[in-house]
Amino acid sequence: MRSGLETCAAMDRTAIAQRRTEELVIEHQTKLARYLRRMVGDAEVALDLTQDVFLSAYRTLQADPARELRAGWLYRAATNAAISFMRRRKILHVLPLDRDLDRSAWRVDEHGAQSVDLQAALGRLPVEQTAALLMTSYAGYSSSEAAQILGTTADAVRQRVCRAMKTLRHVMNEDSLS
Amino acid sequence: MKTASNCTTAEILAGAIALGEAGDEQRHAYREHLSTCRRCLATIGGEREIERVISVVAQARDQEQWQPDVRRALARVPARRHGWRWGAGLAAAGALTVAILATQRHAPVVVRSVAVPDAAAVAALGTQTMPQREHRAESLAFTSAQAARATITFQVRLDERGKPTRCTIVRHSGRASLDAALCDAVMRAH
Repeated sequence: MRSGLETCAAMDRTAIAQRRTEELVIEHQTKLARYLRRMVGDAEVALDLTQDVFLSAYRTLQADPARELRAGWLYRAATNAAISFMRRRKILHVLPLDRDLDRSAWRVDEHGAQSVDLQAALGRLPVEQTAALLMTSYAGYSSSEAAQILGTTADAVRQRVCRAMKTLRHVMNEDSLS
Repeated sequence: MKTASNCTTAEILAGAIALGEAGDEQRHAYREHLSTCRRCLATIGGEREIERVISVVAQARDQEQWQPDVRRALARVPARRHGWRWGAGLAAAGALTVAILATQRHAPVVVRSVAVPDAAAVAALGTQTMPQREHRAESLAFTSAQAARATITFQVRLDERGKPTRCTIVRHSGRASLDAALCDAVMRAH
């Protein structure tokens, strides 16, 4: 009897976790996947990582159905997933750098954006700077909110944004010269 | 006077200006610094330059056209099918599963020991049902009727409906009949 009740409770938890995860997916999938696509520079990888983030949200909710999971939690998980992917790729040198393959698609997206190859600039940045720049200017968080998500201070976020801009500006100037 | 710490402060101020978080006082402090620091003027630029550079990111965001759909696979795949499919396949091979590590091409380990709730979540989110994604199950130890023990590493390619389209033995067990039985079971397990 007791094990039956426990089974019911587990099923309830699973159902609640699935429903809440679906709600999170509906609300955040586009922004989160786009953020990840900019972070890693590849649509397919971004989609994989997005799914991993939601899967991880599901598991967290299944373990604790009362837990509040907000966008910040998803962005933190997404950023960590992207950072570990980038580091792994750097170490292993196994996966191709799809930025080159994906370049034409980025250009379409950025038509009119002063013809600058933002993705090429992002590819030159340390991953922490990319995260700070995208979290604020792309995802729309303030520096304090981004700092909370990234586990740092607002001033550090601002400084990383500035350093990212230096590289971006350099790429823009290179583009305008060529 | 120009010092490294002044330049660090200037970077923070420039970041605040870029993010629209700087008040008049901070903008003034930044201008003051620029008037004495050629390096920051050259590498960061004035306020208008900061706004020009940062606007590229906002423009890229506004013009983004990619519409990913994480849920699309979910609609196509019944939630529990995935876990049972593996179970059925292994049972058909007359095998006892000890562990399955399914790995994706990009993420090293996604699912360990596919249990029903996890399998439901995986299927629900479409993680394992994307077109042409390769899955590899490794360290699959099983005991046959003759109590022979073997470890086989194999790869399964799935189509967009999650149906196996190709099974390749990566590491043989040493017994061809066992390898063939495993792939046969995997291919029929849908």
